[in-house]
Amino acid sequence: MQKTSMQSSNLLKLIILALLGTISLVLFFLNFPLPFLPAYLKIDFSEVPAIMAGLIFSPMAGIIVVAIKNLLYLAISGAGDPIGVAANFLAGLMFVVPVSLIYHKFKKGTKSVVSGLVTGTIIMAVGMSVLNYFVILPAYGWFMGWEMTNQVIWASVIAGVLPFNVIKGIVVALLFIPIFIKMRRWIEQKQVSLT
Amino acid sequence: MNNSLIIGQYVPGNSLVHKLDPRTKITIIFFYVITVFFANSLASYSVLVVFALACMFTSRVPLRFIMKGLTPVWFLIIFTFILHLFVTKEGTVIFDFWIFEFYSGGVIQGFAISIRFFLLILVTSLLTLTTTPIEITDAIEDMLRPLNKVRFPVHELALMMSISLRFIPTLMQETDKISRAQASRGVDFRTGPIKDRIKAVVPLLVPLFVSAFKRAEELAMAMEARGYQGGEGRTKLRELKIELRDIMVYLLFACVIALLFLTRNYS
Repeated sequence: MQKTSMQSSNLLKLIILALLGTISLVLFFLNFPLPFLPAYLKIDFSEVPAIMAGLIFSPMAGIIVVAIKNLLYLAISGAGDPIGVAANFLAGLMFVVPVSLIYHKFKKGTKSVVSGLVTGTIIMAVGMSVLNYFVILPAYGWFMGWEMTNQVIWASVIAGVLPFNVIKGIVVALLFIPIFIKMRRWIEQKQVSLT
Repeated sequence: MNNSLIIGQYVPGNSLVHKLDPRTKITIIFFYVITVFFANSLASYSVLVVFALACMFTSRVPLRFIMKGLTPVWFLIIFTFILHLFVTKEGTVIFDFWIFEFYSGGVIQGFAISIRFFLLILVTSLLTLTTTPIEITDAIEDMLRPLNKVRFPVHELALMMSISLRFIPTLMQETDKISRAQASRGVDFRTGPIKDRIKAVVPLLVPLFVSAFKRAEELAMAMEARGYQGGEGRTKLRELKIELRDIMVYLLFACVIALLFLTRNYS
């Protein structure tokens, strides 16, 4: 496809991000709980399209895909759980941005993707634990009128949030690595033709 | 998977709540959600409950759809109630048997929190029950317009959201088609250890990505061919307009808020 102007490639980029956001939302709906963790912590593959956007374009593109997914989720299923949606957005951001940054900074190969996924998992797990301890769980407690002691919050972070995010990162990484290996040439082609 | 092709909760209708401007609905719900946290007496809670129920009945959405929206949170509501029953030890003992020792304060607080939660869910799900996602997107675009001044790309965001919404059914169908094609080759998505299930998703996502990019290229070309030039000076098929009924509803809601603050317990 030939680009005639700046604007045309910009529009194409917008549409691609929109469609990646849709795929992300579809994958978000196909979530499943983990057998040994509380039911509200559910695993899904919705970060995969965001990582794809982050690799082909930029970290910002990855953030946009995550944002579209969460905004659409709000528009479709209502704001019954606004804190959960915000938490999901932040988790996605913390996971996707490191992958994209490391990939673009170093040699664009499998190695940098793997190290990006590992870094992303660590940042997401630690970051979400901190956020849950200081902001999210107290916010839920206030919202629901539960009085949570620091011990309760600490326990649910150590036994719930931290392992959950580590497992989520590993699962998404295990899915993304074979996809990247299969689609590497295609991704590089798209980088050339789109940016 | 077939049933989940219909996502979202919108129930078509012709009621006042359906016809209200989506911006009116979003604004009112936003302030309602805030005021719910100010209620602290029986009278003030009743004001909020009456308003929510009045909205529910004027929307004429069948009760079972509303109940369906509430299913995921029933458990949480009941759990919170029971938690308060056991943990909050205020007021007088009203029930004492074996390990069950309930205080009046616990019962009251349990009720208050459950009703608060119920109201929040009810009102926000009324929005998605009576408003199409595309109307919500239009409303968001319009309400974010002031951000244009700080160079926030409002139009682009709204464009992406409406394209995304448009393609949800298409891409769901495609996911379904690909997963059936893979299943017919013997791939098992539903059972087996997690490792195998992850592996099964790879041949599903690869074609999905490739076809999404193809679709995007076609759509971009089609839009350019029809002269799309961004948000500047673009006219709309669906114009949002504040009508008399919106103003009436705003006034009514202002009365509700005033009533709530009058009946609130200030001691």
